[in-house]
Amino acid sequence: MINITLNVNDNEYEVEVAPYHTLCDVLRNKLEFTEVKNSCDSGECGACTVLVDGKPVTSCLMLAVQADGRKIITIRGLSTDGELHPLQEKFIEYGAVQCGYCTPGMLLAAKALLDENPRPSEEEVRMAISGNICRCTGYQQIVEAIMATAAEQ
Amino acid sequence: MSNTKNLFRPSEYFKPASVAEAIKLLTQYGEKGWLLAGGTGLLVEKDPQVEVLIDITGLGLDYIKFDGHQGVRIGATTTFADIVASPILQKGPYNVLVQAACQMGTPQIRNVATIGGNICHAVPSADSAPALLVLGATLRIACSTGERQMDIADFFLDVRKDALDRCELLTEIQLPPLPTRTGTAFAKKGRVATSDLAVVNAAVRVTLTAGNTCQDARIALGAVAPVPLRAREAEAMLEGEEPREELLEKVGARAAEEIKPISDVRGSAEYRKTLSCVLVERVLKEAVARALA
Repeated sequence: MINITLNVNDNEYEVEVAPYHTLCDVLRNKLEFTEVKNSCDSGECGACTVLVDGKPVTSCLMLAVQADGRKIITIRGLSTDGELHPLQEKFIEYGAVQCGYCTPGMLLAAKALLDENPRPSEEEVRMAISGNICRCTGYQQIVEAIMATAAEQ
Repeated sequence: MSNTKNLFRPSEYFKPASVAEAIKLLTQYGEKGWLLAGGTGLLVEKDPQVEVLIDITGLGLDYIKFDGHQGVRIGATTTFADIVASPILQKGPYNVLVQAACQMGTPQIRNVATIGGNICHAVPSADSAPALLVLGATLRIACSTGERQMDIADFFLDVRKDALDRCELLTEIQLPPLPTRTGTAFAKKGRVATSDLAVVNAAVRVTLTAGNTCQDARIALGAVAPVPLRAREAEAMLEGEEPREELLEKVGARAAEEIKPISDVRGSAEYRKTLSCVLVERVLKEAVARALA
């Protein structure tokens, strides 16, 4: 077992992990950040997306040891002091949430996009969420919500 | 403790601070030691034979450098995202690698997956391979006795088998300088628009002489044979010729005869042959247009 430190949503956590534990495992099962979903366990669907040093990563394909000392944001870290992030507000307004399973990963991918590119084109938005599968919405409302958030920033 | 359930259960993790240390660990652990860079390939496969992980992301091998003499040097653990964003690679004919990189995987995977990992995994559909083949990449490989170099054309031996010895580490990929009036292009067709392995991927490079004839044309295809490969007979058809549309059509057809695709879940062999013909013609037209621009 290896001792690592994970900075999750601005808090430090010391945790003991095996070399084969994924970041998704550790976040969900050791640290109880169950908002991080594991859907395909193979990096295809994006439901497990978290931000690692600001970049979207599928946590099911990252070993916990690889995340040692790095800054991780889960969806819980998107709102601050109980206030929803503008992306979250727009997702609600535009009906971009149905079952909600893809939503945490989708929002974090969108946040990473807008942090780097505050005025994306529709194509850039679609590319940015191309690693996040949604079974419910057909993506249209999601894209509109992200574009609307960008327009108001 | 034996791994009777065939689960992915490495028992040790090391993160060496130098290439020499990494080679020592590879030598020490032999078959049990597996290199970990981005880890996306490793974790998708979860091979139960992995006992020891040797993390090579602490060796400072993520960089992209350019100088007029040597061309471009890319560290083996450079991520696909960094390749896509690189101002050095975006300009001019090296751009074929950017075109390839931005179609590999998903944004999340590109943030983590490395170009060294992509080629060392030696999957026939590796997206970076056709681009590196047409760019004439040279690989720098570290071993216990020092270093050796290898042409990428000699690197892929079979499905998931590359030319690295067990105790060797790929450290750098070098792209030689390219002549002026060189155009390149890449195309990939998957079952869906993004995030799929290639059914076929293709890259080409064409240099035009002052008289607008082709010189040193290169055509590479992936996912259509046990290894990514160059279509050498198709390439030879272009040498010294003007790249007229009728010729490019014939070259595409010839390239499709040089491949040995299989039928699998992503497509039939016949579909891959047809697709190869079409994609090669398409990327040749694009590359020629860029060479003329």
